[in-house]
Amino acid sequence: MNKKYDAIIIGAGVIGCPIAYELCKMGYKTLNVDKNPDAGEGSTAGSCAIVRAHYSTADGVAMAYEGFKYWLDWENYLDHVKDEKGLAKYMNTGSLLLKSEGHDWKKVKKNYDEVGVKYEEWDNEKIKQMIPPIDLHKFWPVTRPEDPKFYDEPTEMLEGGIFCPEGGYMNDPALSAHNIMRATEAKGGQFIFNAEVVSIRSENGRVVGITLKDGTQIDSPIVVNVGGPHSFKVNKMAEGVWEGCNIKTKALRHEVMYCPSPDDYDYLNKGYHMSDGDIACYSRPEVGNTFLIGSEDPKCDPQEWVDPDEFYAGKGGPGRDNQLTEAQWKAQCYRWAKRIPTLPVPNQPKGVVDLYDCSDDWIPIYDKSDLNGFYMAVGTSGNQYKNAPVVGRMMAELINACERQGLEHDKTPFQFKYQYTGRVMNVGFFSRKRAINKNSSFSVNG
Amino acid sequence: MKIFVCIKSVPDTAATIKLSGESSFEDSDCKFVINPYDEYGIEEAVTLVEKNGGEVVVITAGRASADGALRSAMAIGANRAIHVKTEEQFLDSSFTAKVLKAAIERDGMPDIIFTGKNSVDTEGFQTPYRLAAELGFPVVNEISKLKINGDKAVAEREIGGGDREVLEISLPAVIGVTKGLNEPRYPKFPDIMKAKKKPVNLITISDLGIDELFSKSRLVKLESAPERSGAKMIQGSVEAQVKELIRILKEDEKVL
Repeated sequence: MNKKYDAIIIGAGVIGCPIAYELCKMGYKTLNVDKNPDAGEGSTAGSCAIVRAHYSTADGVAMAYEGFKYWLDWENYLDHVKDEKGLAKYMNTGSLLLKSEGHDWKKVKKNYDEVGVKYEEWDNEKIKQMIPPIDLHKFWPVTRPEDPKFYDEPTEMLEGGIFCPEGGYMNDPALSAHNIMRATEAKGGQFIFNAEVVSIRSENGRVVGITLKDGTQIDSPIVVNVGGPHSFKVNKMAEGVWEGCNIKTKALRHEVMYCPSPDDYDYLNKGYHMSDGDIACYSRPEVGNTFLIGSEDPKCDPQEWVDPDEFYAGKGGPGRDNQLTEAQWKAQCYRWAKRIPTLPVPNQPKGVVDLYDCSDDWIPIYDKSDLNGFYMAVGTSGNQYKNAPVVGRMMAELINACERQGLEHDKTPFQFKYQYTGRVMNVGFFSRKRAINKNSSFSVNG
Repeated sequence: MKIFVCIKSVPDTAATIKLSGESSFEDSDCKFVINPYDEYGIEEAVTLVEKNGGEVVVITAGRASADGALRSAMAIGANRAIHVKTEEQFLDSSFTAKVLKAAIERDGMPDIIFTGKNSVDTEGFQTPYRLAAELGFPVVNEISKLKINGDKAVAEREIGGGDREVLEISLPAVIGVTKGLNEPRYPKFPDIMKAKKKPVNLITISDLGIDELFSKSRLVKLESAPERSGAKMIQGSVEAQVKELIRILKEDEKVL
């Protein structure tokens, strides 16, 4: 006899765990299956786990701002569950968006006003006072170190920034997913690891269960794809699902670098998360007083779309596997070194290489599918970590409305009410059937 | 004070190496770094020159791509570089030592020559000794503490079991260095920019009066390390598990 569950969630990362958690709280018997050995060990572990509110759409801002409330109230969210590994910690550093041509910051400001996000406007003098080693010259447009223009002397200055005091980052993204797993288990949810899904079974246009690599069959009338960078492969396993998506997802390789902070600057304890469109980089503090430097995907940088299985096996070859490349190391570190001129740049590169589950318009798909009972929370495009607890609640309510209340979400999109901000979100915004959203930044900024 | 630091451009130990042919690997996309042990030598040399005056010259024998390692060394603070350009992917250490000796003599004799204790790619542990023999200099290796007193150096090395050997040597000497000697500084962006403009003297082996490549050893074959297979869990009582383990070691793995 196959084991039966009310819902199977494929993936136990920072999005898969909260979906299970919320479904359990609604009385569903859930099972998360993950091919990794533990919760959060996939692309969640490689996330910078930045919690910021600046997005290019008001809906994006609203969802992120709602998410802040969960991270700020982490123990309560977890219902005070005990985790033998300890709890992840929200580092509420504040988040600074530098005003530049690389970000449509006027739109962000308008969105902040519309949603009611707390913020302060900082002029250059204030920024310099708060971040002493910073150089506020304008370096735009973004170029690569191979381009002689990269070394042109800047003449103009930036025009300040927008500071959001509630922003920050979670100090351990994998642990945060693990925490939610323990909270889910406390509500009756189950997890299996080292378990790879090889097929999704369906009958008469409805999903009936999954089959694992070792042949085990598990049955459920609800299956949710939260496969991260593997999402497109999982969608292709389910009958008609891939074909039924207007927006597709694929895996994009991304590098994040570590550079030590200058000797006289305590970035770890006094620094902020910073988004800098002028040089297409972002950074946040990391243990050991280091800068963690990410890229905002400027047009001059190549994009590597890879096979996630080859990538994680280290088999894609240089620039396509999970090792840093020298060219990108230089690009990101040298760009950030323009902003922080005293930044030490080690000769021996150190960093993280992982994958984004990237959608066509860099906005996620939180939706049902063309196969009854099959749902997806995919296409997170490197910018949804911060929304994970909100997405968990939203997906659970969407699934419940479709499965138990007969909602036809494609015709009458589900309206999700945010618990903290009270705003109502049209979940149709995240539809797989949408046209490409032209308001998107088409980058990790979302 | 004139100090030479012999460095080697090596593949990053984290890089994925793709073999090509019998005895070479594809290096066009491979990430190269300064051999990490050489960085301790560069840092020590730069610190000594900052204190006592003089110059630090970095030298390498290798392919065109080794320029990156020389620039990195100059970003740490070396004043100039000598690059003996060769076409081969691997050089025999007896050949490297002869080339380095000739290039160093041509440039003018130093007070100290630093090398890393070994290179992390071939791990031959040969070049410092062979170079010293070529030059007729004393040599010490795996040095993690160093003091220079006029024309003498007092060097310390760990010899296992927590014991340290303290050696006094006369200068000039070849000193192979290792972790613990210092903390190599990280260059800053302006240092990296300055290093781009520092002089690199590019020469060939024929400039050094060496007619052709010779080797005392020959690289016959390169093989990828076997992939690690997954862990196997043995089930059952302790007694059954031990029995099964012994059976696997004897019959499957044939190691007993």
